[in-house]
Amino acid sequence: MNFQNRFSRRSVLRSASSGFGYLALAGLLGKEAAAGVDLNPLLPKPPKFVAKAKRVIFIFMEGAMSGVDTIDYKAELQKNDGKTAPGGGKLVASKFGFKQYGESGTWFSELLPNIASHADKLCWLRGLHTDTPAHPQAVVQLHTGSANAALTRPSMGSWMLYGLGTENQDLPGYITINPSPNFGGAVNYGSAFLPAHFQGTKITDQGFLPNLKASAVAAQQRRQLDLIQSMNRDLSATPGAPDPVDGIIASYELGFRMQDKVPALLDISKEPESVKEAYGIKDGPDGAFARQCLMARRLSEAGVRFVEICQPGWDHHNNLHKGLIERTGNVDQATGALLADLHQRGLLDDTLVLFGSEFGRQPTAQGQDGRDHNITGYSMFMAGAGVKKGFTYGGTDELGIKAVEGQMHTNDLHATILALLGLNHEELTYRYAGRDFRLTDVAGKVATDIFA
Amino acid sequence: MKSYVTRTGLFLLLAVSSAQAADDAGEVEFFEKKIRPILSGNCYSCHAADTKVAGGLRVDDLNGLLVGGDNGPAIVKGDPGKSLLLQRICQTDAKRRMPRDSDPLTAEQIADLTQWIATGAAWPVVGVPFSIGRERADYQELRKTHWAWQPLTKPSAPQVAASSWPVGDVDRFILAKLESAKLEPVKDASPEVLLRRITFDLTGLPPSPAEIADFLKDSSLAAYEKVVDRLLASSAFGERWGRHWLDVARYGESTGPSRNIPYPFAYKYKDYVLDAVNRDLPFDRFIREQIAGDLLPAADNAERDRLLTATGFLALGVKDVNQRFKVRFQMDNVDEQIDTVSRSVLGLTVSCARCHDHKFDPIPATDYYSLAGIFTSTDDKAGVRNKMGGNGLDYYDPAMLVKLSHEVAPPPPEKVAELQARVDEAKKAWDAIRGTPEGLKRAANGQPTQRPFRLKYERLQAEFQQLSDPVSQGYAVHGVTDSPTVADTQLRIRGEAENLGPVVPRGFLTVFDVPGSPSINPGQSGRLELAEWLTNAENPLAPRVAVNRIWLHLFGQGLVSTVDNFGIKGDVPTHPELLDYLANDFIAGGWSTKKLVRELVLTHAYRLGSEAPQDHVDQDPANRLIWRHSPRRMDAEEVRDAILAASGDLQLTPPAEAAVKELRMVEMRDNGREAAGIQNKSNTALHRSIYLPLLRGVIPRALEAFDPVTQTLVTGQRDATTVPTQALFMLNSEFVRNEALASAKRIRTEGGSTAQNAITQVYLKALGRAPSGDEVKRALDFIDAYQSDDFALADNESGQQSEEASTEIAATADGAAANPDDVPRDDQTAREGKVIADDSQTGAWMAFVQSVFASAEFRFIR
Repeated sequence: MNFQNRFSRRSVLRSASSGFGYLALAGLLGKEAAAGVDLNPLLPKPPKFVAKAKRVIFIFMEGAMSGVDTIDYKAELQKNDGKTAPGGGKLVASKFGFKQYGESGTWFSELLPNIASHADKLCWLRGLHTDTPAHPQAVVQLHTGSANAALTRPSMGSWMLYGLGTENQDLPGYITINPSPNFGGAVNYGSAFLPAHFQGTKITDQGFLPNLKASAVAAQQRRQLDLIQSMNRDLSATPGAPDPVDGIIASYELGFRMQDKVPALLDISKEPESVKEAYGIKDGPDGAFARQCLMARRLSEAGVRFVEICQPGWDHHNNLHKGLIERTGNVDQATGALLADLHQRGLLDDTLVLFGSEFGRQPTAQGQDGRDHNITGYSMFMAGAGVKKGFTYGGTDELGIKAVEGQMHTNDLHATILALLGLNHEELTYRYAGRDFRLTDVAGKVATDIFA
Repeated sequence: MKSYVTRTGLFLLLAVSSAQAADDAGEVEFFEKKIRPILSGNCYSCHAADTKVAGGLRVDDLNGLLVGGDNGPAIVKGDPGKSLLLQRICQTDAKRRMPRDSDPLTAEQIADLTQWIATGAAWPVVGVPFSIGRERADYQELRKTHWAWQPLTKPSAPQVAASSWPVGDVDRFILAKLESAKLEPVKDASPEVLLRRITFDLTGLPPSPAEIADFLKDSSLAAYEKVVDRLLASSAFGERWGRHWLDVARYGESTGPSRNIPYPFAYKYKDYVLDAVNRDLPFDRFIREQIAGDLLPAADNAERDRLLTATGFLALGVKDVNQRFKVRFQMDNVDEQIDTVSRSVLGLTVSCARCHDHKFDPIPATDYYSLAGIFTSTDDKAGVRNKMGGNGLDYYDPAMLVKLSHEVAPPPPEKVAELQARVDEAKKAWDAIRGTPEGLKRAANGQPTQRPFRLKYERLQAEFQQLSDPVSQGYAVHGVTDSPTVADTQLRIRGEAENLGPVVPRGFLTVFDVPGSPSINPGQSGRLELAEWLTNAENPLAPRVAVNRIWLHLFGQGLVSTVDNFGIKGDVPTHPELLDYLANDFIAGGWSTKKLVRELVLTHAYRLGSEAPQDHVDQDPANRLIWRHSPRRMDAEEVRDAILAASGDLQLTPPAEAAVKELRMVEMRDNGREAAGIQNKSNTALHRSIYLPLLRGVIPRALEAFDPVTQTLVTGQRDATTVPTQALFMLNSEFVRNEALASAKRIRTEGGSTAQNAITQVYLKALGRAPSGDEVKRALDFIDAYQSDDFALADNESGQQSEEASTEIAATADGAAANPDDVPRDDQTAREGKVIADDSQTGAWMAFVQSVFASAEFRFIR
């Protein structure tokens, strides 16, 4: 390859940048790439200030899990079953038993014994609120900071990739497993106006990624690749060859290697039986979330910057009782196992886990056996890098209707996550259509109280 | 109080309005002390912005009460007797009484509410921020100084030293800059390179081997001119240049986020655009038709339909149909339209002024709302309505489609009678079980037993409606018409739809003057006058933005590099005189795109080679001065079309039916049956990419890898990234392998000649040139070696990923889940087939052809 001319090397680096394979590409490009931090948008970048969190696992409970039945114990609600709520409606106490766990004395309902066993590792955000009590907008807002459909914004994972680059250069830096097929769909992991290489890569819980399966055995495909690269090198040597040709040459080598590495990483079948048992891995739809949890650990361990996994089906306008038993049955064991596994491997030291929904549910009744949406006060928990352990920040009123202290809007949540990764949400900007955009738009307060 | 103001007088009137508000202080205090606590304490949990809007009613906003919900206004100022709110509160039937499931309001509370309504329902006035409406000194300065909104200048072509180099004035402008920078233009492109370039640039397709042979025989300027005229006249020109406009028009065939509802008639707008470009409809007329086609005179029904179809430009935007509040739905759609119109035609980001005065450009919020009034006076007939948490056909509103003139033959009477009987029967069954204990009992699937009865009745009703509805038979488009109520609209404080400021008269931007532009007809929306203002020859921006985009598509970058932003934060032109020269030329040429394209591709500058001497690179690395022709990467559509053309599979005739036509206006999931069906159609289609279905969020696989346009945003210029997913697409995708195989088979059956000839044919079809001797040898060696490798074919079964899975999901598609939002997660689009040659010789040729497709040379136009 010809690196005589400085301009062309710069543009190679710029053009070849991608969610995949950057250090490897840098290796191919030779020694100078080590100095390429300012040239290449996806090389790992130092955070703006010292941060413990290097990556994020977001465990998304899509559909809005009922807090007062699971993670938000409200003694007053339990006492006032059947009474009229302020604002109207009839209060309904949770039918599930609650008890306290750990030294922190955190309350959990009987539905979540495994997550509860990690009580002293968790950092609760109990004063969350958001703008729209409808799933599509709230899901999009949770993922992109804005529910304005007319101008789609980049998703938070894209902003992180844009701000921090990616650690493992043979892998996508941002992976979302089984994302919502509605509620904004691809918007939730899209890069909008950020360059396309910052967008999330969608995979299924079976590890499906389009075009990843080699179309021929390796040696045969290598022979074909040699022909392609020979043609590419001819072009590269032509005077005035298009700048990105060297980037294309590198991208072929990376793609070729990814065919082996990525499926191996996504293949959980070779994990020890004890691990599979701990997560509750099983075939079929009931095992989907457990598979995602185990894949999330493997991906994070391999250095994927942002991993999102998803358990849908929490929208209990009716069938609350049975529905919660079923959903938590899918989620509790695997989430508990993931936390234990991350902890045991030391990954919790530099990985931030975020668990929660797009909003919460009311303490009042809807129909016979349901609860309606609540955007004025609900909880999520964090665990791992950078956050206090066994700590609670903020809270709702005694019935669980509205956040009354430590209020955090979705923008504040985003500002705080970015801060935990060492990024200043006000400085992480991208110029588009004549203005500088941010994940937090023109708002966002960092909840520094939760920092360890 | 409604304040009605001219824009300059706004400040003064705001002061008046706040003085009047003070008189109501006593009543406002009564509201805050007595009324608001009743509303928030008893009603908010079902009727407020933060919760939901049961029955379409919200009580946390005065307008919400006045406009009311599904049953009409909740309160009538001064008339408690007509106020539904009081009626529902005082109901004796506990089932119908509000607040539901709670104790009734006390007599004192009811008395307070009655008094409040009787005295005029006072509500605290929201203060208008002072900055709004004030004439800003910085704006005046910017209006005078920023280059883009000054009138067009009439520059004459400069003198140049190398007087034999230019073939026209455009070349003189370019050469003069090069000469003053002491840069010489490089040599001309070779005939093969030039022919491939012009053919792709004008049609998005490669030249055929016969066309290459012809041009190599005679590559004179006259012969080149003939090629240009042939390409301009071909329908493929509209297929490529129409696509450029569709990028700008953020064309998409569904609403996109947050609930993706297909636009089944969108393709008619696409066809309109292609036809307009091929007919070389003057660009000013093209814009006028798209913004105000419904208001233009039409000689006959066909012309009327064409003009109505053009307004799809405004209607086919991203729409958040799940929006609870109609006023927000409307104002968001208006914003989307303002953004699209202003950025596509003017290169201005006007929608920044929705919430506050524009931070950089002299666009006060009052300008924004003067435009907004035009669009609020327009019915956005995309065929959808807003609703929170709906499902099925909830979002479909056939009344909100534009009907075309077609006469629909009445349906056969016997069919009507038969269907009517079935509807009646289903209704009877539904009425019998509805609400009975038996009906409410849960069936095995957790659903009430009565549910299937309701579904059956609704389905038959829909079928009956479809029988005679012209809309369901396709004689409709998504477009706009003037609203029955035409009115100026209020400024919205901080852009919040409900937060009304003073009324702003409809009008245009004040950023520059357009002498002689008409004032708005008070009886119409004002779109007609807006369209005329936009395309008035005195409007300096529209022609500058248009010619800059044409330049971009021929020279690889705009004279103004920020093609969609000509504001303060945009770039300045590299050749300002040339830009104005072209803008004048464009207008003088009757806004003819084809004429301007022809002029530009005949320049010497366009015909330059792409070599890059080091000293040139050092001095002007980005080639802004145009000393060579910048190579460009094919866009996604070109990659696919070029592969199909090279393989011989390309069908040049458009498909008989657009794939989206069959979709109902029902939410479509990314992973569902409809999406899988659409993907399947895209995967097997052999016609040009422009005809592939383009639902937002469901990008055809064959386009996905090469930076397809973001269908939600105005996009004048596409990205061109280089990522390994492109390599994987070229190495492994079903599409590329299929076409490589088709090509290999054709070569071997049609060829009959030597292997060397076959290799030459592949090079000509794919790369537009003959191979060198070394290249032929390399190819032959590869084919021999590949064939004799004799590897076991890569494991066969992997390609057959469960094709049967689709039926499984189909079974649950009819709402078996308890909640319409709980959708199955199986990704029906997540499967791909395997393409394997029958024998090792074909396999080797296939691998060779695929390699040529995969080469970097293939995807660059030099």
